[in-house]
Amino acid sequence: MGITTTFPSELITKYGLAGPRYTSYPTALQFHEGYDAEAYRRHVDSSNDDLIPKPLSLYVHLPFCKELCYYCACNKKVTRNTQRAVEYLQRLDKEIVMQGEMFDRDRQVIQLHFGGGTPTYYDDIQLRHIVDQLSANFLLSRSDSREFSIEIDPRTVDEDRVAQLADMGFNRVSMGIQDFDHAVQKAVNRVQDEEKTLRLIEASRESGFNSVSVDLIYGLPLQTPESFERTIDSVLSSRPNRLSVYNYAHLPHLFRAQRMISSEQVPIPEVRLQLLASTISKLVDAGYVYIGMDHFALPDDELAIAMDNGTLQRNFQGYSTCRETDLVGMGVSAIGKVGNSFVQNLKDIRAWEAAIDEGGLPVWRGLGMSGEDRLRRAVISAIMCQGFVRFAEFERKYGIDFNDHFALELESLKPLEQDGLIELSEGTIEVTSTGLLLLRVIAMKFDEYLINDLQGKSYSKVI
Amino acid sequence: MYRAMSAESQKKLYFPERLQVACSQCTLGDLCLPRSLDPVGLEQFEHIVNKSRPIQPGEHIFRAGDKFVSIAAVRAGCFKSYVIDKNGEEQVLGFYLPGEIIGFDAIHEQIHRANVVALDTSSICGLSFDSVSEMARQLPQLQEELFRVMSLHIAELEASAADLSAEERIASLLCSLSRRFASRGYSSKEFNLSMSRRDIASNLRLATETISRVLARFQSAGIIKVNRKKVAILDSDKLKDLARRDTC
Repeated sequence: MGITTTFPSELITKYGLAGPRYTSYPTALQFHEGYDAEAYRRHVDSSNDDLIPKPLSLYVHLPFCKELCYYCACNKKVTRNTQRAVEYLQRLDKEIVMQGEMFDRDRQVIQLHFGGGTPTYYDDIQLRHIVDQLSANFLLSRSDSREFSIEIDPRTVDEDRVAQLADMGFNRVSMGIQDFDHAVQKAVNRVQDEEKTLRLIEASRESGFNSVSVDLIYGLPLQTPESFERTIDSVLSSRPNRLSVYNYAHLPHLFRAQRMISSEQVPIPEVRLQLLASTISKLVDAGYVYIGMDHFALPDDELAIAMDNGTLQRNFQGYSTCRETDLVGMGVSAIGKVGNSFVQNLKDIRAWEAAIDEGGLPVWRGLGMSGEDRLRRAVISAIMCQGFVRFAEFERKYGIDFNDHFALELESLKPLEQDGLIELSEGTIEVTSTGLLLLRVIAMKFDEYLINDLQGKSYSKVI
Repeated sequence: MYRAMSAESQKKLYFPERLQVACSQCTLGDLCLPRSLDPVGLEQFEHIVNKSRPIQPGEHIFRAGDKFVSIAAVRAGCFKSYVIDKNGEEQVLGFYLPGEIIGFDAIHEQIHRANVVALDTSSICGLSFDSVSEMARQLPQLQEELFRVMSLHIAELEASAADLSAEERIASLLCSLSRRFASRGYSSKEFNLSMSRRDIASNLRLATETISRVLARFQSAGIIKVNRKKVAILDSDKLKDLARRDTC
């Protein structure tokens, strides 16, 4: 699966319809409140009973931001009142204890992620306190292969802080850049210094972070192919191990913050396509491997290696190389995955805090996967991560006749085959290099809930 | 500490009900106590059998301190027997699969010393021990079968009492389960365990994490493959070697 040399603009325009990102299947839209704290407990108990329980992955959601970035669609809370964030931390402490008590203590945490919001809204003492609290309630792996990552807002961090984060045990950093162009930065209310950001990437390496990942966004107001190329060139000069290039989906009716962006300033679809095309060709020319969806990595990065040997996984943070883990989500709105179930915390901060004050788990909703869900999840994961589906594997593992079970789905793939997104042959679906840019479109054909309800208008545009 | 005989549980277990499945038609016919009886003996035997209603996971069929009245033959599912030690810790004594008999340990004191709980949705056939011994006096084949079953049980216990390493113990348990599943007409190569790793750890007197660590080691050596509570045996020769057994 190499990236295509000619950019399929027409196909992307044609298929530029709504679609989920499949960081999970079934997607969060299917979660329901019938799955409650009791159901979660049962799934955790049963995961502890596994003969070889899966190692753990922890996600901690720290939702506070000092300022509002106008493009943001995350669950966050903008406040300069640091006392508010302290109150949140006190509840987080309690949730960590409650969650920690549920999982057998011999289950190693091999993956840890602090996401936001802006995790670095908190100062070093507070962040160290959270790590200590996790360490007191879970068995954190000491192996070099552990992946402990934190999202950094370069505006809130200096070289000294980077060294502190490394000392706390983080070994991966993900840095929000979005765009270096000053006019664009002003239009989205996120002004950050280019020199300083590049220095921080350097400082992260010197402090011992073994992977630096950078987030960029295309489709932001006032972006032009020329201005964005300059940003990419500058970012590439620091040679990050991984790059995520996200599409800005302008949905002001859904996300209040985006109403601050004037719709006329948002690039028209043709310009978006140019932005995407030139970004991809620049990154590929610079030696980066296209992993899928929005992600690129250097060829010696584990993601690129995992892609080659077929061990790539998809999870809530995008792609991962970890062997399968049970994911414990902590903090407001955090999502977890334990056994064959997904769970999500209350998404309103006050409600989440109130639930913890009452001494209970702040579970909002979730979903226990059916056998059919698991089968489809595996097929979608094969499309997104391996780029091919071998029917025999699924027939053996799930006791189905693939052609029979997915007769309608296979029929619906035929137009995609004619457009060159996939190759269908006896017993396999192969994603082509063109199809790699439209993975969601292919995966959607196996989404039972989408098939049953073909209206998903609120999804972000595929491209 | 012993509770008085729980009349309630005894009643629930052996409520009088006409036998629905005759021993002669039972799929466990070749394994269970009456397997060596002739048709006449078998019919006689059927009269002393009380079939139970389905038993839910977590439901006890015997409690420590219960007066010994009956033994039970597992028809379906899986049971574990355990005692609570001085420190209040649970100590798992053993696991019972279909066709196996529970309760022989209570004969000498006429009191059950172990708690016996279902790990899966299960069912049993209850046998009044007085009736069984009475019948064994008349039918030598039944008496021989009783001796054989008890002897087998003692032999298994003695084998597991040997000074074995963690790896040897776990391999030995897998071998034993594989053999027992096979003799019940299930696959010897792939089976679902009803017991949790904590139960196994307690039974083998090992730390819970040792069970997972050793199973993971077996897995990376290509001897077994584990998926949640399902075990597939890929290399039974190596497993037998590890268990220091000739047969699995």
